Amino acid sequence: MKMKIKFITLAIISLFFSKLVSAETAPGFGSWDDVLKAADGGQVNVYMWGGSDAINGFVDDFYGVPLKEKYNITLNRVPLKGTVDAVNQVLSEKEAGVTGDGGNIDLIWINGENFWTLKQAQLLYGPFAAGLPNSEFVAWDNPAVNLDFGRPVDGMESPWSSAQFHFMYDSARNNYDDMPRSYAELSDWIAENPGRFTYIRPGKGGFVGTRFVKQIFFELSGGQEQWVGPFNQALYDQWAPKVWELLNSWEKDLWRSGDTYPKDNAEMHSLFANGEVDLDFTQSPRGAGPTNTAGTTPPTSRAFAFYENMIGDFNYWAIPYNAPNKAAALVYANLVLEPELQAAQVQPANGFCCGWGISTAKVSDAAGKAAIADAQNNLGDAAEDQNILAKALVSDIAAEYQDLIEADWEANVLLK
Amino acid sequence: MNNNLKKINIYAIYLGAFILILPLIAFFINAFSFRWFYPQIIPKELSLQAWVRLKLIPKPGQRTFESFLDLWASNPTVIKALINSLTIGFIVTVVSIIIALPAARVLGLLNFRFKKLIIFIMVSPTILPPIAFVLGLNINFISLGFSGSFFGVCLVHLVPIMPYVVLTMTGIFANYNPDFEHQARTLGANKTKTFFLITLPAIAPGMVVAALFAFLVSWSQYLLTFLIGAGKIMTLPLLVFSTASSGNPALTAAISIIFIFPAILILFFTSKFVSGESGATSGFGKI
Amino acid sequence: MGGERLKIILSLTPPLLIIITLFFGGIFYGLLQSLGYQPAIGKYDINFSAYYNVMFSERYARLFWTGLGLNLWVSFASTFLAAVFALFAALAIRKTFFAKTICNFIYSLNLPMPHLVVAVGMIFVFSQSGLLARFASQLGFINSPGEFPVLVRDKYGFGIILAYIWKEAAFFFIILMSVLQSLGENFEELAQSLGANKWQRFRYVILPLVMPNLFSASIIVFAFSFGAYEVPALLGVIYPQMLPVMAFEFFLNPDLNARSEGMALSIIIALIVMILVIIYFWLTQAKIRKD
Repeated sequence: MKMKIKFITLAIISLFFSKLVSAETAPGFGSWDDVLKAADGGQVNVYMWGGSDAINGFVDDFYGVPLKEKYNITLNRVPLKGTVDAVNQVLSEKEAGVTGDGGNIDLIWINGENFWTLKQAQLLYGPFAAGLPNSEFVAWDNPAVNLDFGRPVDGMESPWSSAQFHFMYDSARNNYDDMPRSYAELSDWIAENPGRFTYIRPGKGGFVGTRFVKQIFFELSGGQEQWVGPFNQALYDQWAPKVWELLNSWEKDLWRSGDTYPKDNAEMHSLFANGEVDLDFTQSPRGAGPTNTAGTTPPTSRAFAFYENMIGDFNYWAIPYNAPNKAAALVYANLVLEPELQAAQVQPANGFCCGWGISTAKVSDAAGKAAIADAQNNLGDAAEDQNILAKALVSDIAAEYQDLIEADWEANVLLK
Repeated sequence: MNNNLKKINIYAIYLGAFILILPLIAFFINAFSFRWFYPQIIPKELSLQAWVRLKLIPKPGQRTFESFLDLWASNPTVIKALINSLTIGFIVTVVSIIIALPAARVLGLLNFRFKKLIIFIMVSPTILPPIAFVLGLNINFISLGFSGSFFGVCLVHLVPIMPYVVLTMTGIFANYNPDFEHQARTLGANKTKTFFLITLPAIAPGMVVAALFAFLVSWSQYLLTFLIGAGKIMTLPLLVFSTASSGNPALTAAISIIFIFPAILILFFTSKFVSGESGATSGFGKI
Repeated sequence: MGGERLKIILSLTPPLLIIITLFFGGIFYGLLQSLGYQPAIGKYDINFSAYYNVMFSERYARLFWTGLGLNLWVSFASTFLAAVFALFAALAIRKTFFAKTICNFIYSLNLPMPHLVVAVGMIFVFSQSGLLARFASQLGFINSPGEFPVLVRDKYGFGIILAYIWKEAAFFFIILMSVLQSLGENFEELAQSLGANKWQRFRYVILPLVMPNLFSASIIVFAFSFGAYEVPALLGVIYPQMLPVMAFEFFLNPDLNARSEGMALSIIIALIVMILVIIYFWLTQAKIRKD
């Protein structure tokens, strides 16, 4: 009897340990050391939107250098016109039958519907996010993080940074107090300032425009809460006509009388900087800071937000199913979550666009905390009050709305 | 005939010339300024910031010869793109000339059945748009493993280049008199000698024009490199395009200047060959 | 004679092979995909639904036909205007005057310029906050960028036409210069001595002599401007959109049906170009026979 109990205990204990030991860091890698070893001496192909040279420079300097020096990995950053180009590449490779390690892409800077396209077609590698050592700093219990446009992340992508939609104005031309703080006030402002406003057209490369229009849905329908959750066709059909009505009512007072709209951030900034329109958009917690530093907006540019319904979200890194350097991809995804590098993201001097990907409360070591505190203090006066931003923050909604809004806007507003 | 131009025509020509170089002027001003917004004509802030951002010039205060070399050795994107564009251009130029030479000789000197059909086939890539073939080719290249490879990009660049090279060199051979070769042969020279001493010097000017055409066509390719290169082969036109969409005019201008630099060099070289003293361009009319 | 024949075949094979396998092969595969034949995802049926959707479906019909109209307008206008501009420039620059060589150089300068750069240049110079607008503002003609006429990124394709003229005029210019050079002045002098005035000399002597070259160059320029992607992508608006830009955007849509539509649209573009070129040939052949 004693022998039997001993034997069973032993069996249970070894089972327990074997579960621990065989718990993979990520599919195909037993431990983080395996990952580091496999990644050593290789390359990592990082595909990301290349439209901001500040972000490009940041990635090259703050990740490229440590990757090489600490991990002996060469960074190959591939700029894209839009994330969908990378999605399309993975789809094409799947169509052509490329599997295993034969693909071209190791990491994609991604979120929302692009992420969902790949995830539901099972074209992603993972789950890997929880296995990264630095994932302890990520607020995985927060629905803003573990849900991407309303869809569960399930560890198939790992956070990088966050962004929140709001506006910019030029303090040399306008005053902060005169700025509209809701779409209703914006309608009045447009009528009083004909030809001085436009928005980015919702569509490929213009997700800022889609966001701008989505927020109208929230305001007109009385709130964002009812939009959270799975796609609701009836709700959409109820409010869409009113949104198009509003946008069409603006047309005669818009820039170029609404005949055409800028198609991306670049055009928008150019119009704003050259004095053709008076309001612009930003997604950075530092407001007009990044673009002022880059010289694409006048140095007198400042930020403001509506008091409600300013969409904010996280953006992530995902690994395609056929990535050629999966280990290096994991090292990279882990590196960007390093507290000091996250703090560097937010530091105005570094010119990065966006905000925190980790939860600063979870960082406990002294060096990390110091870096974070320093960054928080330096946000600068080109930024909007962080409290106003926090109060207005709402999450983005199900990905189906994105395509629908873009197509319907084209049919109902542009072509009317 | 009165060889002097009427005053008003001269001024019209000058005005036209001035307008034609306005874009160049705009490029240079943009590339060497910061925040050159409307309505400034003379920029308020002259600076090298665009070049610093492109990692071609070190930050102020660190501009020694070594730091230049260090910076370029760190392989910034612009240098990568420049080297790729140059290499691909050079390879496809050489390959296309070698392939085209025998064919052009045959087309220019001889007559045979189906000659018109063959010329039509050769010329069709200049008529039918590249988008018609590269979309279909893309999937095949992916499954063959050419996608994202240097070899694949070079291969696909050959398509728009071959017609120009074949056409130009056929024009050369159409004006070429093979009798000199026969004379050399009767005097005892063998085939190779004849080629290098008689044929080559005679067709060299035309070959140079064809080579320059080929290089320029490859140098300016965007769509083909974008699709077949799958983002792994970065060339200058891709960089210009993505920077032009990024809203920083100073950067776009700086990269554009680098991009057009070889083109201007080539123009200097060819103005001797092309401005009327060769049969290369007049051959266009004969086809 | 067998050796001769073999030599011909061997010489012609390499370039023909490249063009047939890559170019026509690519078109062939594109055609298959546009007809719905995609073995990689198990679709084997042939149908014309992609073509129908692109041209007649409610969602795309308006985009397609306005895009086609824009395409034709842009190509015809660019080719014609570039040729006219280059012709007058070439005729004038033949004569001697101060700074002739520099002008010759400048007028040919744009030939090696890649189209992309020319397009960016157009934005820098002709946009409402561009160089010309700034001149106008300093001279007091306008008070804000909004008052400057819309010349690039406009719905009539002016910016695109400008960019093509910029580059193609240099192309025409170089060809015309070399033709005029090789013609010499004899014909003109003869005509003048026979009493022909300037216009008659131009219409009956110069024009017919340069027509063959102008003609073959025009076909290339027209076909190129009709099917090219880069310039309209940078200088166009979102509606109406030129067809190659539309085709490419369809192709980049992750929805695989949209990709067939992109291929279908690109085949349609190729067909239209071919038809137009054939018509062009036929018309000018008829004219040459008449003359």
